[in-house]
Parts: sequence; structure tokens; C-alpha cells
Amino acid sequence: MKWSKTLIATALAMACVSVYADITVGVTVSATGPAASLGIPEKNTIELMPKLIGGQKVNYIVLDDASDTTTAVTNTRKLITEHKVDVILGSTITPNSLAMIDLAAESQTPMISMAASARIVEPVDAKKRWVFKTPQNDIMMALAIAQHMSAVGVKSVAFIGFADAYGEGWLQEFQKAAGLKGIQVVGVERYNRTDTSVTGQVLKLVSARPDAILVAGSGTPAALPQKALKERGYTGKVYQTHGVANNDFLRVGGKDVEDTVLPAGPMLVAAQLPANHPVRKSALDYVNAYETKFGKGSVSTFGGHAWDAGVLMQRAVSEALKKAQPGTPAFRGALRDALEGVKNAPGAHGIFNMTAGDHNGLDQRGRVMVTISNGTWKYIGD
Amino acid sequence: MSARWAVRLFAVLLIAGYLALPDFHVSLASNIGLYALVALGLVMMTGVAGMTSFGQAAFVGLGAYATAWLGTAGAQALGLTALHPALPWLGLLLGCFITAAVAGVLGAVTLRLSGHFLPLGTIAWGLSLYFLFGNLEMLGGHTGMSGVPALRIGPWTIESPRAMGGLIWVLVMALIWALTNLLDSRPGRAIRALKSGRIMAESMGVDTTHARLKVFVLAALLAALSGWLYAHLQRFINPTPFSLTIGIEYLFMAVVGGAGHLWGAVLGAALITVMKQQLQDVLPQLLGVSGSFEGVVFGLLMLLVLQRYAEGVWPTIQRLTARARPAPQKRAPQSVQENTKEKMQATTPVNTSGNTSGNTSGNTSGNTSGNTSGNTSGNTPVNTPDHVSPVILKKFLIARTLAAPGTIVLEAQGITKRFGGLVANQDIHLAVRAGEIHALIGPNGAGKSTFFNLVSGVDEPSAGTVRLAAQAMHQQPARAFAALGLCRTFQHVRLLRERSVLENVALGAHLRGEAGWLRAMLRLDRNEEAAIMAEAQFQIHRCGLTAWTHTDAGALPLGAQRIVEIARALAAAPSVLLLDEPAAGLRHQEKRQLADLLKQLRAEGLAILVVEHDMEFVMNLADRVSVLDFGQMIAQGTPKEIQQHPAVLQAYLGGVA
Amino acid sequence: MDAQIALLLAQDGIVNGAIYALLALSLVLVFSVTRVIFVPQGELVAFGALTLAALQLGKFPPTIWLALAMGVLAIGVDLRRALNGDQISWRNTLLWSTLLPISACAWATFARPTSLPAQVALTLLICTPLGPLLWRLAFRPIADASVLVLLIVSVALHGVLMGLGLWFFGAEGSRTPAFSDARFTFADLPFNGQSLVVVGVASVLMLLMFFFFGRTMLGKALRATAMNRTGARLMGIPTGLAGDLSFAMAALIGAVSGLLIAPLTTVYYDTGFLIGLKGFVAAILGALVSYPLAVAGALLVGLLEAYASFWASAFKEVIVFTLIIPVLWWRSVRTHHVEEDE
Repeated sequence: MKWSKTLIATALAMACVSVYADITVGVTVSATGPAASLGIPEKNTIELMPKLIGGQKVNYIVLDDASDTTTAVTNTRKLITEHKVDVILGSTITPNSLAMIDLAAESQTPMISMAASARIVEPVDAKKRWVFKTPQNDIMMALAIAQHMSAVGVKSVAFIGFADAYGEGWLQEFQKAAGLKGIQVVGVERYNRTDTSVTGQVLKLVSARPDAILVAGSGTPAALPQKALKERGYTGKVYQTHGVANNDFLRVGGKDVEDTVLPAGPMLVAAQLPANHPVRKSALDYVNAYETKFGKGSVSTFGGHAWDAGVLMQRAVSEALKKAQPGTPAFRGALRDALEGVKNAPGAHGIFNMTAGDHNGLDQRGRVMVTISNGTWKYIGD
Repeated sequence: MSARWAVRLFAVLLIAGYLALPDFHVSLASNIGLYALVALGLVMMTGVAGMTSFGQAAFVGLGAYATAWLGTAGAQALGLTALHPALPWLGLLLGCFITAAVAGVLGAVTLRLSGHFLPLGTIAWGLSLYFLFGNLEMLGGHTGMSGVPALRIGPWTIESPRAMGGLIWVLVMALIWALTNLLDSRPGRAIRALKSGRIMAESMGVDTTHARLKVFVLAALLAALSGWLYAHLQRFINPTPFSLTIGIEYLFMAVVGGAGHLWGAVLGAALITVMKQQLQDVLPQLLGVSGSFEGVVFGLLMLLVLQRYAEGVWPTIQRLTARARPAPQKRAPQSVQENTKEKMQATTPVNTSGNTSGNTSGNTSGNTSGNTSGNTSGNTPVNTPDHVSPVILKKFLIARTLAAPGTIVLEAQGITKRFGGLVANQDIHLAVRAGEIHALIGPNGAGKSTFFNLVSGVDEPSAGTVRLAAQAMHQQPARAFAALGLCRTFQHVRLLRERSVLENVALGAHLRGEAGWLRAMLRLDRNEEAAIMAEAQFQIHRCGLTAWTHTDAGALPLGAQRIVEIARALAAAPSVLLLDEPAAGLRHQEKRQLADLLKQLRAEGLAILVVEHDMEFVMNLADRVSVLDFGQMIAQGTPKEIQQHPAVLQAYLGGVA
Repeated sequence: MDAQIALLLAQDGIVNGAIYALLALSLVLVFSVTRVIFVPQGELVAFGALTLAALQLGKFPPTIWLALAMGVLAIGVDLRRALNGDQISWRNTLLWSTLLPISACAWATFARPTSLPAQVALTLLICTPLGPLLWRLAFRPIADASVLVLLIVSVALHGVLMGLGLWFFGAEGSRTPAFSDARFTFADLPFNGQSLVVVGVASVLMLLMFFFFGRTMLGKALRATAMNRTGARLMGIPTGLAGDLSFAMAALIGAVSGLLIAPLTTVYYDTGFLIGLKGFVAAILGALVSYPLAVAGALLVGLLEAYASFWASAFKEVIVFTLIIPVLWWRSVRTHHVEEDE
């Protein structure tokens, strides 16, 4: 009798431990649909994340939202109410992340987005105090481009971007940045990811005779306008955004994308960074981890954003574990506070310093200027 | 415990269950409800009316964007911020208005064309609306609009997902009720008739283009309603939920559930939503790798369902449960083929009433009061079912005045029809008089059916004039012929095979009722409906089909199906009756009964034009015979004259003579 | 817009229009013979391009596995039909489901072609049997269903193939080298060789199709089937053969279109869908029955797209897909009497 009671008590205790002690991380990424080229490396990166933090087991639940808002919201609700996650990583794209904010705030679950727009975390209000994001704000990247342009004497620029949230966000931010630097935007055109031809847009841009052209697209589709520009004999400078930064872009772009200038996260040229660069080591860590598992040259900067979300999460979890048990509202609250308090966390894309007013936390160290020469990325300065 | 109490208890349990449901299931239930609303529209379109749309998601988008815009930027732009609590409701009005306008235009453009142009058209404009949402800055572009206000009903704010879910499901249930009512009514029968051939529906007086347009707009409005709810549930919208992919998924829901059944929409929405959730959880475990196989597996399952259960899951479930329970009565005549003869003999009242009452009333009152059904049913009250008195019949059904016997009611004046180089009918003159049976005979391919189509408005003559009730019918559709009292049967039987004989016959009375959609949905049409049903039952009885009243028309032997077509035509209270080979497939005894029925109708003052191959039948029945050969009228006259006409003998016996 | 820009846009429009024309023709062909509105045509375009890209990277194209797997399934289906007492033309079954996929597999494994023409030939050998196999597995079991059911099956199949495309080739796109690198200027207008190759190949294919349908026995038989299925069967033309043939031609044309555009643009697993849809718009302009009108429609779509991308790039797709509405309206006002659905 006594034995059995002890047994039951032990079993119960163990059950409680195994239920409450595990940390549950919910992930929703766009592994299919139009944003699949971003979502797949992010999904892969989740596999590289630590299975133990502070001695506690971490469970990852990864869902695909097919680049669709409704699915992202359903996934989030499922993660929160069914899996009782402690933190949500995702989603890949801006609209999905924006739609998830309400749920995160309502359930008081911290959320770390991997999407670009600053609208996701700014301004930090009652709802967005639960939301963080890892990719560099577009304005920071846009300013870097504008700076480079004015340094090389570009007076007028034309813009061609995706007809989606990414292109839209970039257009807004770049117009601001160009205004600051006194550069005139003389043409704005849009195109679709799956377009087979951008001849019309390119002819129009070229006829405006800009000194430089900025292409705002992500992944390989960003090569299409540049190839068309080459075809039409455009000789001015061509800029790309950090969205192109994976090796597939080089493969598809070939010699037509030589000499392109773009801002990017440091991880893109991690090995070329000077030894004393603050991000070199942490960026290389990620690149090596990813390429060991998925093959040489397979790494992309999109996965880096997921990695950084993991970095922030690890930091915060080890802090929060000191204050509360995983699976409780108290733990989630502590996790949020810890995220806001993250200081000097080195990730693949930069050093994160969160504050109550800045839920992105990247600074100038989070971007480098890169050009393409001889079919590879080349670091040309900060 | 009575059935009503069982229903109430069930409802209470349902509500209690809903309140206890875990949060995630509540949001799944809300999604299912939202999808079901759209799928209901698609069931009305696809399963009931035989149209298809891949573009419903775009209508959902119109509903959602209208209210989202009005609730945020629009309110400021229009200076409506003071109306804040009412904004969502204004948004609903705006959404419905825009949707109805867009659907109306699109429908007007595509609905006259044959079936597959509509779905292809919907793919195209579904895409263009999607790109439009994404590129309009005032709608938040591709990034989306946040801050959509919460819904308010009086003092209550409906903000929590659970409350919204409740509202969604109340609406779903209310709409299913209204649509069930609609389908069980005069306009409902007209909608169903659209699916199995528009020619038949037009011949019954249904304006098929108009009806299709209405169904299409209804489906679009249901989608817009779903979008409106979605916007206030999610409070954030961007274009992706309104893309073509989702539009395709809506159609899958309707088809998987069972496109012919309103509950199929709910079942389909539930199945697909739950299945996708399950696939998301199960597949990675099953396959061990985390690929993106959901789409593939989902598509394969769809293929399987379409190949195996083409009607959807709901009818399959119905069949299974029906097998478990004792067979319902309406399926009783299983071996119809065998006992056709007995049934027709046993139940036919034609002989008696036809000879006594029909003759007298037809001759005396035919030219004055005229309502065929009114007259005859008055004489045979015992046979009128459902305790509906003739007074009610008269009061609720539109009657028709028959012309005096001998008057020409239908006339072909020199009509010619060419198909390319082929002349199917050449310069044909023919007159059909009230109170007369006129037979049209001729060898196969002589152009009889072409002629029939020309004088019933199904086709347009290349030259010449058709006159019906003294009016020239140039460019008039078949329904205009029906409105003037012409009703016909078809050589190839055109019945709604999956509906009961009663419903098929009731469709014939379409033009005699007036009940519209709204009256039908709210069940305010019951008196008229009872009258139509009584009329239909009377005609079924008169044609000796009583035993099959509730049988699916498709289950009847072909000969009996022809008789159903006659009953359907009679339910229209016609003044001209066109019968295309009515005796084909009938046995000897049945032919005699048919002849008796036609004689009775003649006595009542109807003009009857009949195409028939059975010479004995024709010669014993007809007052006048016309003979077509190679598209030309070669002889006209009494049966006697025709039997001795040299040209006819030549045509029928060929060069032998 | 000056004259040169206008001409350049026209050039671009004609090149794209030529691709749409090929697709529109095969859509019309498949529809008129089998009543299937072949939505997955676009996926075959992507499969063609990406298979060639895989061969060029020295990879074993996963589409071969697809062809082999579908071949096995197709044989299974026919075995079951044979058990049910149906007449099976085993020669055709073995050709599509065994001979062609296995020879493609053998070629890719043992010979590993490195020259562009050989790789192109291998790509076509891999992709062509996919058409008849899809027909046999997805459509033939319900060949008598209504156009609507066939259309829905078609759309489901599109989902399956697109998912497989993502699995096979990943989310990033590929480009293949141009068949011709020539660039020259004629009358002040720059031309590049690849565009000429596209227009040339498309024209030759179209002429071949017209010849095939106008002059050859098999072509006439297919046309007869399109006019009247029952009649054709009575005349001894098996419907199954017509299905195999028309789907094989559709797959071949799809793959060729893919090969033609892959040097001009980056092809993704989901590129084909929109291209295919534009082919549809063209086919609808031809009312799904007229070949010459479909070609004209395709050129119209291509030109409209080119000029729209110059004037209002953000609304380009809206403009192209809205084109269908005035066309349908025009057809609608010309129809007085209701059309009977099938």
C-alpha cells in the first residue's frame, strides 16, 4: 500500500516535471507558397537549434503557413491553445506577422518575427510589447544604399520592386532615405515574382535616364530586372537589397549581376570580415552549422534571421528559467521581459541590444556593404 | 419524448458543448463556419444550378475589404468617424452592394454562355481582383490593413473569438434554413431545373439566364458575408486569403461535401479544414521528413474523392444511414420495370372521368371560363389530395382562358430552317386549331424534331413566321411561348432524374405561381405551394402515375417518363400541347390509355400537335395529319386522305411501289 | 513612348505571345478531344525547364522518378481493368508507362548526356509520357463525367503537380543557357538570338500541328474524335488512343515551351501556372475550339501584357486577366438562344 502510494506520487511528480519543465517553442514559417524560398531555409535552421537550454528540454513544433495569413493565424492559435507554447517564432513574411500580433498579445505569448517590415515592432505599444523581430529594419538598409549612392555621386535613381509586401515596404523606406540624402527618385515600377518578362518596366525606367537603379526583390527573381537591364544596354549602377542574399541568386544571375552593390547582413560575407569584426565569429558559427548539415553553399541569409530568433530565444529562456516554470503565464512574462533586456547578443546578422522602445535591437554592425565580383559576394566595407 | 423536444435538447447540448470547447477548436469551428457560408453559395451554384466558380474567394475579399476600409481609412475619408459603432454594419451594406454590382456585371457577361466559360472566367477575374487588392494603396496594398473595428450589436461588442464563432454559426444555420425553404419552392424548382438542361427549363417558362444570374449573385453575397465576418474576426486583412488558391479550395469543399446538398457544404468545409490540420500534424511523423507534402497529399485525396465519390461524402453517408434504417416509403416501387403495366391499369382514372366530366365541361365551358384544372378537379374532388379545395387552387394559381374550338392557335407560315448547307425544313405551312389533335408524321430525319423546336421557340427559323395565339413570335425565347400557353414534351426525355415525379410535374406549373425568392426563403409562399402541389398531384393522378408520385423520375421506365413529361406539361394549364413521340416505349394497353387522355384533353378545348411513329395510334386519334419528308411538307389532310395519298405511300414505301 | 520603345515592346510581346500560343493550341487540342480543360499544362512547362536545368547541373532529374512511379500505377490500373474484362491495348500501355520512362531513366543513368541537344532530347523523352500517364491515372477513369467535374479534377491535379514541383526542385528558380547567344541590330532594333529561336520554334510547331491535323490520317482521326466521340468510336477510332495522343502532345508542347522560356527568364516550380493561365485567356479568345483564333488571342495577350507592363506595371495582371470579360461579353451578345450544356 505504502509502496504503491509512493509509486503513484513519484509518477505524478515525474509527469508534472515532464509536462511543465519542457520548454515549448512554436514555429510558423512559410515553407510553401510564394515565400517558400525564404521559409525553407528558416525551417531548416530550426533543426539546428539547441535541444536543451539551461538543462531543460526544448520541444519545437514547426508548422507551415503556406504564405497565407489565415493559415498563419490558425497556426498561431493552435500553437498557443493546443501546444501551450512559451514563445512563437515566425512568421516569414510581413502580412502574416502583422496578423499574428493580436493573438500573441491576447494570450501574452512573446513572438519573434523573421519578417522585414518595421511596422511589425514599431511603435512599441500595449500589443507590440509582446513582439520582437530579427531582420534589419528596411530603413537601416535603405539608408546604407542611399549613403553609398551619394558617396559615388548618384543624383537620380529609379526603383523596380516586387508587387508584394516586400517591394512595398522597400519603396516607402527608400523614398525616405533618398529624400534624406537629396537623391531624386525618377521612376517607380513593379513586377511579379513569377513574371517571365520585365521588358516594359525596364524600358520605362531606362527612358527616365537615372544614374542608378535599385531592384527590390527577394531571392532569384530579383535577377530578372537586372538581366533585362543588361539586355537593354543600361550602363548605370545597379543596387539590390538584402533580400537577394543567397547563392542561388549568383547561380541564376551569372555574369549579368557582376558589380551589383547591396547592403546585407554580415553573415553573407562572414569569412571575409576582418578578424576583429564583432559579428564575424557568431556569423561563421551559423554558416558552419548550416552547411555541415545541408551542404556547402546552401546557406542563405533568410535562415540567418531564424537563427537570430533562436539566439534571442536562448538568451531569454535561460534568464526566464530563473524566475518561473515553463508552461506558465509567469514564464512567458519573464521571457518577454528577458527578451526586452537582451544585451550584446551576437547573432548571424549582428549584435542585438533590445530596449523597451526598440524590439529589433540591431545597429550599424548589423549590416555590411557587399558587391558581386567574379561570381561571389565581396565585402567592401560597413 | 417528442421529436421537437429532442431537437431542443440537442440544441441546448450543442450550445453547452460549444461553450465548453477548447479555444483552438472554437477558432477551427469559426473557420469552418466561414468556409461553409462560401461553400453554401457554391452548392447552390454547382450542385443545384449546374454552374461553377473558382473565384468565390475574390467575393469574400470584396466583403472583407469593404468593411475594413470603411472601418478604418474610409471612415476618415468620408467623415463618418462619428458613426463609429455602426461602421461595420455600413461596411456590410457597402460590401453587399459592391459584390452584387460586380457579380451582376460578371454574371451578365458570362452566364448566357455554355457551362465552362463561367468557371474559366472566374479564374481570370478572381486573379485580377486579387492583384487589384494588392495594388491599391488605400486598401493597404500587399502588406495589409490592421485595426479593423470590432463588431457591435447594440450595447454588446462581439470581440472574443468565441462570441464571433457563435454569431457565425447562427448565421450559417439561419441561411441553411432559408436556402432549404428556397429549394423547396417554386423558384427552387426553377433553380434545380437549370442543371439538367436549360432548354427544358426555358420551355417551362423559366428565364434561365435571369435565374442563373440570381443564383450567382446569391452565391457572391454569401461569400461577401463570409468576408465581412472574416474581417471582423481577424481584424487584419491582406490579399492572400482571397487568392485563387483559396478560391479553388472553396470549390473543393463544396464538391467533397456533396455539391448537391446544403449540408454537404458544412460537411465539406469541416472535412477539409480538419483534414488539413490533421495532415499538418500527421504527415511529418508519418514520412519522417519535414517536407511540404500537405498540398500533394491534399490534391491526391481530392482526386480520389472525385473518382470514387463523385457526388461527395454527404450523399454517401445518407445512403449508408438509409441502408441501416428500414427503406423509406418513397423508394417502394423497386422493380418498376416489371409491374409497369399493373400500376398503370390499377391507378388510371382516365377512362371514367375523361368520358363523362371532361367531355361536357370541355365543350360547354371551354370557351368561357377555361381553367382546365379548375374545371376537371371540380368534378373529381375525391382524387384531389391534401385536402386542398378547388377554391384554393383557383385563388392561388393563375388560370388561362382557352380559345374557342376551331380557332387557329399555333401557326407556321412558310418557315424554313437551314443548318449550314442543309435545309432541315423548307417553306412549311401548318396550322393547329383548338379542340383538335394534329399529327405530324414522316420518316426518320424528315425534320419533325427541327420543326418542333422552331414552333416551340427552342430554335429560330431561318425564314418564315411562327404565330402563337395570333402573335408573331420573331426572336422570342421558348419561355415566351410557354407564357402564351404552349407547353411541350421532348423526344429525348428531359426530366430531373434525381427529383421525385411530383417535383418534376410541379415544375410545369411554374408560370402559374408568383412566389419569389424572398417569399420562398421566409416560407410565406405556403398557400401557393400547396395549390401547386395539389395541381401536380391531380395531373399525376390523371395520367395514371399516382403510385410513383414520390419516386425519383429517373427510376421510372422510359415510357412512364414520357407520361411524366405530359403530366408536367398539363400542370402548366396549356392551351397548346406539343407532344414529341409520346407513345414510344409504351405497351399496347398504355397506348390506349394515353389516347383516351389525349381525347379528353381535346374535348376540353386544347390544341394538340403530336409527332408519332405509331401509325395505328396516329390514325385512330388525329383529326388532321401532316406528312414531312426531306424537310418538305408532302401532304396534309384527314387520316383517311393521308392513308391514300400517293406521295405519302411513295415516301414510306420508297421505290417499291 | 517613342517608336523604338514601342517596337521593343512589340518584340517582347510577340516572344511571350508565341509561348502563350503554343499553350493555347494544346489546351484547345486537349479540350476538344477529351473535354478536359488541362490546367496542369503550366506545371508541365515548369517541369520541362527545371528538368533540363537539373540535367545541366549534372543531377538526376526527379521527374524521371515521377514518370516511373506513374508508369507502375498506370500498369496497375490497366491490370485491374483487364481483370474486370475490359479490352486493354497493352501496346500503348507499355509504350507510355514502361518503354519511354525506362529508356529515359537508362539514358540519364548510363549515358549522362552533356551536349545541349542531347539534354533537350532527354528532357522531352522524360516529360512527354507524363501527359498520357496523367490522362490514364486521373482522367480516363471518369472520362464520361461532365466538363465541370473534369475541370475540378484538373485543378486538383494542378495542386498535386505544383506540390511535387516544390519538392523536386526546391523553391529557388533556375535558368538554362540560351540556344543562341547571337545578338544583332536590324533597322535600329536590337534582336537577340533566343527570342528568334522562340518565335521560330513556336511557328514551326504550329505549322506542324496544322499539317498534322489537316493532312495526316492520325490527325484527322483526332479531329473526328473532337467532333463526335461516339461517332469516332463507331468508326473504329478508340477514344483511349485519342486521349493518349492529345495528352502526349500537350505534355510535349508544354515541355518545349518550358525549354524555350527558361533561357529568357528564371523558371520556378510555380511559374507555369500563370503562364498556363495566360494561355487559357488566349484559348478562351478562340472559344476553346478555334486554333487560328487561339493563336491570334495569344499574340494579343502577349502584346497587351508588354504594353501594360510599360504603362502600368502594378496593374499588368489585372489588365491581362480582365481582357477576358469584354471578350466573353462579345460572345454573349452574339448568342440569342440559350446554349445547352453538356
